[in-house]
Amino acid sequence: MATLNEKKTCSERMENFRRFVWNPETRLFMGRTLINWVWISLYYLAFYVVMSGLFALSIYSLMRTMNPYEPDYQDQLKSPGVTLRPDVYGDRGLQIYYNVSDNKTWEGLVTTLRTFLAAYTPAAQRLNINCTSDTYFIQDTFDGPNKTKLSCKFTSDMLQNCSGITDPTFGFPEGSPCFIIKMNRIIKFFPGNGTAPRVDCTYVGDESRPLEVDYYPMNGTFNLHYFPYYGKKANFKTSFLNCYSNPLVAVKFLNITRNVEVKIVCKVIGAGITFDNVHDPYEGKTLLKNTCKE
Amino acid sequence: LLQKKSDVYSVEDLWDKRSRKTDIGDEEEKYKDLKGNKKKRRQKTLRKKWRTFYSLSFSLSFGIQDDHKLSASELEEKYGTSVNKGLSSARAAEILARDGPNSLTPPKATPEIVKFLKQMVGGFSILLWIGAVFSWISFGIQLAQGAESPFDNLYLGVVLALVVILTGIFAYYQEAKSTNIMASFSKMIPQQALVIRDAEKKELPADQLVVGDIVEIKGGDRIPADIRLIFTQGCKVDNSSLTGESEPQSRSCDFTHENPLETRNIAFYSTTCVEGTATGIVINTGDRTVIGRIASLTSGVGNEKTPIAIEIEHFVYLVAGVAISIGVLFFIISVSMRYKILDSIIFLIGIIVANVPEGLLATVTVSLSLTAKRMAKKNCLVKNLEAVETLGSTSIICSDKTGTLTQNRMTVAHLWFDNQIYSADTSEDQTTQPFDQSSPSWTALSKIVTLCNRAEFRPGQENLPIMKRVVVGDASETALLKFAEVILGDVMSIRARNRKVAEIPFNSTNKFQLSIHETDDPNDKRFLLVMKGAPERILERCSTIMINGKEEPLDSEKAEAFQTAYMELGGLGERVLGFCHLYLPEDEFPDTYPFDTDSMNFPTSNLCFVGLLSMIDPPRSTVPDAVSKCRSAGIKVIMVTGDHPITAKAIAKSVGIISATSETVEDIAKRLNIPVEQVNRREATAAVVNGMELKDMSLQQLDEILCNHSEIVFARTSPQQKLIIVEGCQRQGAVVAVTGDGVNDSPALKKADIGIAMGIAGSDAAKNAADMVLLDDNFASIVTGVEEGRLIFDNLKKTIAYTLTKNIAELCPFLIYIIASIPMPIGTITILFIDLGTDIIPSVALAYEKAESDIMNRRPRNKRKDRLVNEQLAVYSYLQIGIMQSVGAFITYFTVYAEQGFLPSTLLGVRVDWENNAINDFEDSYGQQWTKYQRMYLQWTGYTAFFVSITIQQVADLIIRKTRRNSIFQQGLFRNKVIWVGIFSQIGIALILTYGLGHVTALNFTPLRFQYWFVAVPFAILIWVYDEVRKLFIRRYPGSWWDKNMYY
Repeated sequence: MATLNEKKTCSERMENFRRFVWNPETRLFMGRTLINWVWISLYYLAFYVVMSGLFALSIYSLMRTMNPYEPDYQDQLKSPGVTLRPDVYGDRGLQIYYNVSDNKTWEGLVTTLRTFLAAYTPAAQRLNINCTSDTYFIQDTFDGPNKTKLSCKFTSDMLQNCSGITDPTFGFPEGSPCFIIKMNRIIKFFPGNGTAPRVDCTYVGDESRPLEVDYYPMNGTFNLHYFPYYGKKANFKTSFLNCYSNPLVAVKFLNITRNVEVKIVCKVIGAGITFDNVHDPYEGKTLLKNTCKE
Repeated sequence: LLQKKSDVYSVEDLWDKRSRKTDIGDEEEKYKDLKGNKKKRRQKTLRKKWRTFYSLSFSLSFGIQDDHKLSASELEEKYGTSVNKGLSSARAAEILARDGPNSLTPPKATPEIVKFLKQMVGGFSILLWIGAVFSWISFGIQLAQGAESPFDNLYLGVVLALVVILTGIFAYYQEAKSTNIMASFSKMIPQQALVIRDAEKKELPADQLVVGDIVEIKGGDRIPADIRLIFTQGCKVDNSSLTGESEPQSRSCDFTHENPLETRNIAFYSTTCVEGTATGIVINTGDRTVIGRIASLTSGVGNEKTPIAIEIEHFVYLVAGVAISIGVLFFIISVSMRYKILDSIIFLIGIIVANVPEGLLATVTVSLSLTAKRMAKKNCLVKNLEAVETLGSTSIICSDKTGTLTQNRMTVAHLWFDNQIYSADTSEDQTTQPFDQSSPSWTALSKIVTLCNRAEFRPGQENLPIMKRVVVGDASETALLKFAEVILGDVMSIRARNRKVAEIPFNSTNKFQLSIHETDDPNDKRFLLVMKGAPERILERCSTIMINGKEEPLDSEKAEAFQTAYMELGGLGERVLGFCHLYLPEDEFPDTYPFDTDSMNFPTSNLCFVGLLSMIDPPRSTVPDAVSKCRSAGIKVIMVTGDHPITAKAIAKSVGIISATSETVEDIAKRLNIPVEQVNRREATAAVVNGMELKDMSLQQLDEILCNHSEIVFARTSPQQKLIIVEGCQRQGAVVAVTGDGVNDSPALKKADIGIAMGIAGSDAAKNAADMVLLDDNFASIVTGVEEGRLIFDNLKKTIAYTLTKNIAELCPFLIYIIASIPMPIGTITILFIDLGTDIIPSVALAYEKAESDIMNRRPRNKRKDRLVNEQLAVYSYLQIGIMQSVGAFITYFTVYAEQGFLPSTLLGVRVDWENNAINDFEDSYGQQWTKYQRMYLQWTGYTAFFVSITIQQVADLIIRKTRRNSIFQQGLFRNKVIWVGIFSQIGIALILTYGLGHVTALNFTPLRFQYWFVAVPFAILIWVYDEVRKLFIRRYPGSWWDKNMYY
């Protein structure tokens, strides 16, 4: 017993370790002969090759079962998320801060908007068709080029005053800024149940006067002919050409309270779009904190 | 080195150092009195040092002064007392205040809070504490940075701390429970003592006794302190608890030996007075008594770590080593991959949590306590949980003889009459005796046995079996009484019919016992004189011998036959008694003859010799079988007894400790007719070593004996020598189990790897020092214990293998998450739910697994080589089964993500965007866009899927771990029902977590689609098949490369 419990000195430990690494008497390297190491390595090599093969096979067969056009389940995407541009996130969500008189504070925001709208120029949208009907654009067949489905054109000029064309500064210097609201894509999602969903922005909390908002396009609606989305493969898309572009709604806040942080919520109102998920601040709505200084 | 040396030698030359030590002791006492407190402290440290140097010898010897050499008047003077008047109450109170009460200080118990805190920092707890602290640190940093949801880390830290505290409480509770069982043993009934104080006899509680008190003791009393006797009358004490001598020792007032332990005029604390009365002066009280010294000696012998504790420590180091090295490695990797330090710390926590089997130590404790319970049912009460396994790794058992190997009661073993030896049944529950009882000589002999006997059954036991009845009388007479009762029936009524008219009880000068009876034959008016005693003395008094009922003259030929029989029976180690009788002629001794036992007015010679009876304390009937089981289990059984070598050897032979074919050196010498010195010692497999020989042996010689002989009996050994023998065995690298019952055994019990105390015969001190208590005092119970101990070792291996496997499946997600930047596959909290939820009951269930093969047919494990967790176990669990599990779980993970829209190719490298709170339109493989919360919810679904897959594959893991070598079909899938409880609980808990708590977001479970439960099933089957193949090759090709690398 005594020998087992004896405290070894450091040098003894080192010596033991050295002997473990290479024992010249028994010719053991780390407790095995070299040939034994070769065998065990070969075994593990073979084992892992087989396991990798099994893994690859499983993934391959998984991919074989996948539908290339739409995912098997959409139960976790029941209601679309809503995002806002410019998307300046702070530690507590969307926080947009600018000083009307200091163009450095809002130039970045304007650039963001411009970059974002670049995908909505007529050139970028040239592959899409013009749609006029106010109903869902249902396509059961692949009518587009390369067996794709067609998408409706959404160009930035539809945003009128907030398109950046008439007012390249998006109203920031005037203190009535434009924000662009976008609804997330969900495959074969029919929002609004026949009526176009619309954006509605209000103050959150105890703001006494109502928020005056201009919506573009008219009434702040997402036209139904942009729905449903048929997926990346069906609604052909390349990195430089969007075939399907999310419809947008621009909001222009006309009487935003100055010099204090105000909380604004922009909800998308329409059947099938929920905005009451307590855990998700961006499902069916977008929350924004705006500080507009003079 | 010096200390060690003194430890080893100290007991041997204990007595030589005695006088020197005594002086030192006295001097110290004086010093203390004179110089007061200041010096005291220095004194104390000095004494401490002194003590460590002479740990064993010192404490035993000083304290017994020269009191045994002094006369009564000198003693009166020394202690300021008077033999007639005793101390005055005032003086007694003064001394009591100085010396303290006359009781042993209980061994210093570790404070409960310390025990509790020990549980909190032992094992993996440190790692988890580190994890918790890191969590809090990162919480603090995040909070300072004003991050959005820093509370996750706070909760994680709290959960980790809770895990440590809860497992700590659990372990503490388990330990406390097993300690409580023992606490009941140590409760003693307060003792009273008859003291002379203020010239009056008073009954006082024994703990009020002080040095100088005059006490009176009588037969049946426990000696209340160390007493120098000044008046005795037929006083005998049973010193067995102190010295191991089983014969009562007579006490007198005379100084008979230099050694205070040997002299007759001192009676020792806690021994018992068997008969007679005595008066004496108290010379030592409390801890200063000899017993007190032994008790402190016991606490001086360090408690060795149990083998299983060493194994678990080894295992903890191994796992902690793996955890820390992988953690640090990936910390470095993640830092160099430009992860934030904070993130890297969080990864580190994850890796630690994944690597540490949080529930395992609790599982081990439960498994051990289950085994302890099972052993308690089989009469092995385990005090210290870890001792359960120690018994299994035992390679040498040093067993007592009396009571453990034998029945601890004299029994008639052989009879000799009509020139023939008959054997009697010596089993525990004899109801008949099979030998030939037709001879008229037997009738005569049985009459003597019945009549010449003073022993009687206690009344009111008619319904008990004869062997179980309580008898008033000494051991031999009891044996004879029971023997007669079995054969003849109601002995008491026979005695009543043969009324006793005179009697001379046995005494040591006569060495015989005689009684005269009327006969039960109404026509026979003669008196019958019956006599029994030492055979040679009886024979001297005889002139005739009864052969087949006829009296024949005792010629030299017949005397020769008697001698042969006597020698033969004596050679068997049995106690032999001779029996003779004489019918007194009616004319000389009429009805009214006044027999006078003092003047012996009746013949006591020229009697008729009838026969011999020999008695022995026979071995328990279960012992030979148990010994042979030990032998096949590779356990050496060494008998250590205070008995005579011949008796010891006879018992050793009859129970198989010395097998029938093996010989001692003396046997070989006798057979070859050569002197003992010429015998090649290697030829002798057996050895009977006398205590006197042992005393003169060097350690090397002892080692040689222990090494070279497989069958050893130590006879006439003193308790101190027992300690030497145990140490000798331990020097051979053996795991030693020692049985003992006396106070004197406690150092050996403590020194042994596992001390086994006797539950019935054992003293409290022995039970306190022991790790285990045999409730039935039966050696065979030890063997059952060994079997259970070995089984639990095997089963713990299985439990650990089972538990370790999934650690890889928990760890891989973190590693791949860091390297491939995929969304986190499993959360830290989820891991804790596996480790402390689904896996607990199954791993305990493995403790119920039956043995795969006859575990009693293999050698005890080599504690240096056969580790609980060996390389093969770790490698096979971690690198093979664990990897399979990981693959299975990842397939489920990828399936869940793919079917929700994130194909595997999309997932690689998305981590930064995926976890970015600012991206709420994250695009999946199909072009759909996800908010952060939607992604998180998907991630939790992934956690749940990963969790479910691990659980499903752990079912397969559980089934394969049932056996290490045999096929599952050999072992039987349904023999261990508890496994199925485990499987159902595992799945049940997973179902509850997934569907019951799936809506509690804090737990990160989501209600999972049912089909995902089956994704990992093919991998579970693969695990099973692979392991069956592994076992098949192990069985097919024993000793092959495969066997060496794959068998754990």
